[in-house]
Amino acid sequence: MKDDLFFNLDHGYAEGLCRGFKSGILKASDYHNLVQCETLEDLRLHLQSTDYGNFLANEASPLTVNVIDDRLREKLVQEFQHLRNVSYQPLSTFLDYITYAYMIDNIVLLITGTLHQRAIGDLLPRCHPLGSFEQLGAITVADTPAQLYTAVLVDTPLAPYFIDCISEHDLDELNVEIIRSTLYKAYLEDFYNFCKTLGGITAEVMCEILAFEADRRAFMITINSFDTGLTQDERAKLYPTCGHLNPDGLQELRRTDSYDGVRDVAARYPQYKVLFEGSGTNTGDKTIEDKFFEYEVKLNMNAFLRQFHFGIFYAYLKLKEQENRNIIWIAECIAQKHRTRIDNYIPIF
Amino acid sequence: MTLCQLFLQPDAAYACISELGELGIVQFRDLNPNVNSFQRKFVNEVRRCEEMERKLRFLETEIKKDELPIYDPEDNPDAPKPREMIDLEATFEKLDHELKEINTNADALLRNFNELTELKHNLQMTQGFFDEAQAHPVGVLEDMAGEREIELGGQTTATAGMKLGFITGVIPRERMVTFERMLWRVCRGNVFVKQADIPDLIEDPLTGEKVHKTVFVVFFQGEQLKNRVQKICEGFRANIYPCPENPHERRELAMGVMTRLDDLTVVLSQTQDHRQRVLAATSRNLRTWQIKVKKIKAIYHTMNMFNNDVARKCFIAECWAPVSELDRIQLALRKGSEASGGGTVSSVLNRMITREQPPTHHKLNKFTQGFQNLVDAYGVATYREINPMPFVLITFPFLFAVMFGDAGHGLIVSVFALWMVIKERSLKDKWRTQEVWTIFFGGRYIILLMGLFSIYTGLIYNDVFSKSLNIFGSSWRVKFGDEILNRRDIDTVQLEPTPYNYSGTREYQQMYSGTPYPFGLDPIWQVSENKITFTNSVKMKFAIIIGIIQMGFGVFLSLWNHLHFNHRYAIYLEFLPQIIFLACIFFYLIILIFYKWTHFDGLVSTQAPSLLIQLINMILLSYPTEPESSRTFYSGQRGVQTALIIFAVICIPWMLLGKPIYRIIMNKRRANYSTVTNHTENAEHEIDEQTHENESTKKRGVVLDVDLRDTDTDDILDDDHLHQQHHQTEVEMSEVWVEQGIHTIEYFLGCISHTASYLRLWALSLAHAQLSEVLWQMVLHIGLSTNGYAGSILTFLVFMPWSCLTVFILLLMEGLSAFLHALRLHWVEFQSKFYKGEGYPFIPFSFRLLLDEVPIEG
Repeated sequence: MKDDLFFNLDHGYAEGLCRGFKSGILKASDYHNLVQCETLEDLRLHLQSTDYGNFLANEASPLTVNVIDDRLREKLVQEFQHLRNVSYQPLSTFLDYITYAYMIDNIVLLITGTLHQRAIGDLLPRCHPLGSFEQLGAITVADTPAQLYTAVLVDTPLAPYFIDCISEHDLDELNVEIIRSTLYKAYLEDFYNFCKTLGGITAEVMCEILAFEADRRAFMITINSFDTGLTQDERAKLYPTCGHLNPDGLQELRRTDSYDGVRDVAARYPQYKVLFEGSGTNTGDKTIEDKFFEYEVKLNMNAFLRQFHFGIFYAYLKLKEQENRNIIWIAECIAQKHRTRIDNYIPIF
Repeated sequence: MTLCQLFLQPDAAYACISELGELGIVQFRDLNPNVNSFQRKFVNEVRRCEEMERKLRFLETEIKKDELPIYDPEDNPDAPKPREMIDLEATFEKLDHELKEINTNADALLRNFNELTELKHNLQMTQGFFDEAQAHPVGVLEDMAGEREIELGGQTTATAGMKLGFITGVIPRERMVTFERMLWRVCRGNVFVKQADIPDLIEDPLTGEKVHKTVFVVFFQGEQLKNRVQKICEGFRANIYPCPENPHERRELAMGVMTRLDDLTVVLSQTQDHRQRVLAATSRNLRTWQIKVKKIKAIYHTMNMFNNDVARKCFIAECWAPVSELDRIQLALRKGSEASGGGTVSSVLNRMITREQPPTHHKLNKFTQGFQNLVDAYGVATYREINPMPFVLITFPFLFAVMFGDAGHGLIVSVFALWMVIKERSLKDKWRTQEVWTIFFGGRYIILLMGLFSIYTGLIYNDVFSKSLNIFGSSWRVKFGDEILNRRDIDTVQLEPTPYNYSGTREYQQMYSGTPYPFGLDPIWQVSENKITFTNSVKMKFAIIIGIIQMGFGVFLSLWNHLHFNHRYAIYLEFLPQIIFLACIFFYLIILIFYKWTHFDGLVSTQAPSLLIQLINMILLSYPTEPESSRTFYSGQRGVQTALIIFAVICIPWMLLGKPIYRIIMNKRRANYSTVTNHTENAEHEIDEQTHENESTKKRGVVLDVDLRDTDTDDILDDDHLHQQHHQTEVEMSEVWVEQGIHTIEYFLGCISHTASYLRLWALSLAHAQLSEVLWQMVLHIGLSTNGYAGSILTFLVFMPWSCLTVFILLLMEGLSAFLHALRLHWVEFQSKFYKGEGYPFIPFSFRLLLDEVPIEG
């Protein structure tokens, strides 16, 4: 109650901004119009009448999907940075936590890139701007995880997450994925605990979202690890433990070695049961990933139903990312004249 | 206002619309609301315009980057013809291309230049390091060697030190610290970094910003370390420059760099000159082009709203246009058709009859515009409803002034407004983005009138900065003898209008001259103790009188509305009970006020009955004889008042039941007719309306060549009509009852509460007068009441706070509050009597409006 009283004192402005941004998210009717576009020029014309305004107006024709993608991301980053700039503690820490996920992605991107002998100059622009930090470019120096830690990551906020990965010997492709998962697990758990300590509605909303995120990762790790030579114990180490699946579900997942097994585990949890039941691997069916995305969108939308909490900032970013993915999907479909699957975007409203 | 159909030749359409856009008197309706914006006919043209706008924007930013002036064109260029559009496009394309080429060249040159400057600094700095090292052979390198000894065990000193490899480069200054730390970490302390800041700012070729940079030299040993250092440099995006180890070579390189830099500066300035020339030529035409492109775009947008009739090979547009302007529209169409040349068939204007409510259009000038905005802020007038603006024009400043009555403050306000009015032209485009200023400037005529009226009411209240003026000489003379004035036991003496009996003697002194002060309040009140009591009584009564008159006026305006819309029933069932109710209670109250003012003079005023108690007793129908204040004004008052009350009470059920019952009867009568007769009746009704419309147009002296019997439109009309019929019967009777109930309660309770509401006129006026008096007493008085030179200095010091407080509190804050209260009195108390405000504004398609819009920054 006390928190509610004083919430607006520090975070009222940021929340107002965020809710304002959120109201600019495209509606079903907008998607309906976008889907009808014949060319990317049409797309631009229509986006002009939405909240995106003139963000593409200064681009020379012909438009490409890459340009749209860049501009979309630029706009999102701009908005997020603005929110970050006007935020007070503990909201600013909360927003920083959100960016850690992008840092992890960037690190992994760079390492895999260098494994494939790509020049660092080509890779850097492809990193997500939200997750960039000063030492990022120097990642290529490291040959082993230990070096990576001591040379690059020790100064970044990711350092505590990395301690578990140091034992690995070499940076090959499988190890990189393992590093990513370990980092992600540590990050999710830390973020979860941070939200717990914030308490109040933030904890309620964010723990729900993060628990889902953890479970999704557990499912996806299990499904993707079949036939990769990853032992069950190694796999179990990667499961984030802050989800609803912990501890029984994770134990079950550790033992399964087929998609049906995963489905059986999910069947014990009503919220995941529906998702697995609604998905299929046949063409025309929605994949389980899409189902997860849909569920995530729903959770994020729910975050906006409550007042005085930080969850909306996270939710806004995720929704906007989903929207960007949708627009890019539609734009790709238009550009490649592959209209049959254009409707496979994930509606937000 | 009439709905028109335009049949336009495809060739002539563009020119016609362009002419109409210059005129700016028609509002086009969107005939394809269901078509997506990118599926319309002229979407390609619109897109080309957008492309051109993009190029123009690019040119503009480039011009602004070079801080060249952009010339505003004097004349208003016409919308270019469609074929000119291609020329324009080509011109822009050429300019755009040219500029881009120049830019890429300049960028490359600049990058080269920057690199060379960095190299130059690099060489200079490193030269410094090496000189230092040579000067103190046991200095830097000694330290290095010492450290190495620990690591490598026994390799020694200066000669070995020279074998150290090194890398030199330049890095942005803010990254230096992390860079250094990283180097330390990766190489486990086996490198030696030396740095020096470059004093000049170096331009970043990507962003064009000037940044601080730092030169560094990294010393290390071994190939492996070299690799790592190089990788780190790459990661931090530091520019690495080769630096020969030999001092002689270094010097040679430095010389080479210098000469190349000189060459580059020449080339760069030449490119810059060329760029300047191109941009200067562009800047002269930029605004004209922008206007042209905007016009083209607007025309195509408008044409996108047209119905494209394939069979008849023409565009069909629908638009609202004022009836009085139809001639000019016809003329414009003819001009447009001629301009386009080939059009053998001229464009046809066809008036249509519609049930749809037309938009509301008021002819305004810059003086009335502000007042119309005040009214429109409440709601745009329903079509053909009485527009309260002409009345608001006077009553608004007047009511404001009643609350703001102070001639001094009024003078300041009017001088400020006068300045805005006189300097109108030069001020118009200044500070256009400042919201507060635009509000003030937009209302300059309102403020002027408010100020002038404030001077007037201030003179009536005899208040100038809370002091009174004694212009004509007071009508009172204080002629008390010394023995009375010197008596200790009384601190106030009372002036009587009757001759005063000098104590002891038989002399009488006449202190009141017998003729009142010619204008406003007698200045003698300024020094009296009971000034507030007196002014309160007067101001309160005036507030009531003004209020009731304004409300009564509002009710009468509703009569005009009823007459215009031909709602005869509403006159009998709404207007009459309303006005009777108002007259019986409130007009009667005014009569009593005047009666009290005229029939009780100074002698008997203490015995005068209280108006408030009289009014309460009148409503309660009780007539007690005690106390004195509740005695009647005149004989027979009881009978008159009882009759008035009965009349007033009858009005309530009259208004409550009248309209719904009328509706029920009408519905029944309508139900008795068969649908066929119904139809014909409606048609008759329609014809009535048409003739009515025709009469009204004839009155204005406009003869129209209009085919009223267009089959198409009739069909549409009938459909519309039937639909409406159907709809009407569906309306629930209960809804009518509820609506009328609310309406009745609102009016009758409103009369009472609104009358009380007008008392704010008195309250705010009191507050204003008191505040300004307090300010005078507490601030300026300090200075004025001190004697001698100290007094003059003190007055000087005190004037500043007094004047500031006067402006900010009394003028701005009090003025704003009085403004808002005046606004409320008009919106709620006055307009609620007759004004519905359910219309929508007429927004003509006009180039002038389009170009006046403030361009959005972005």
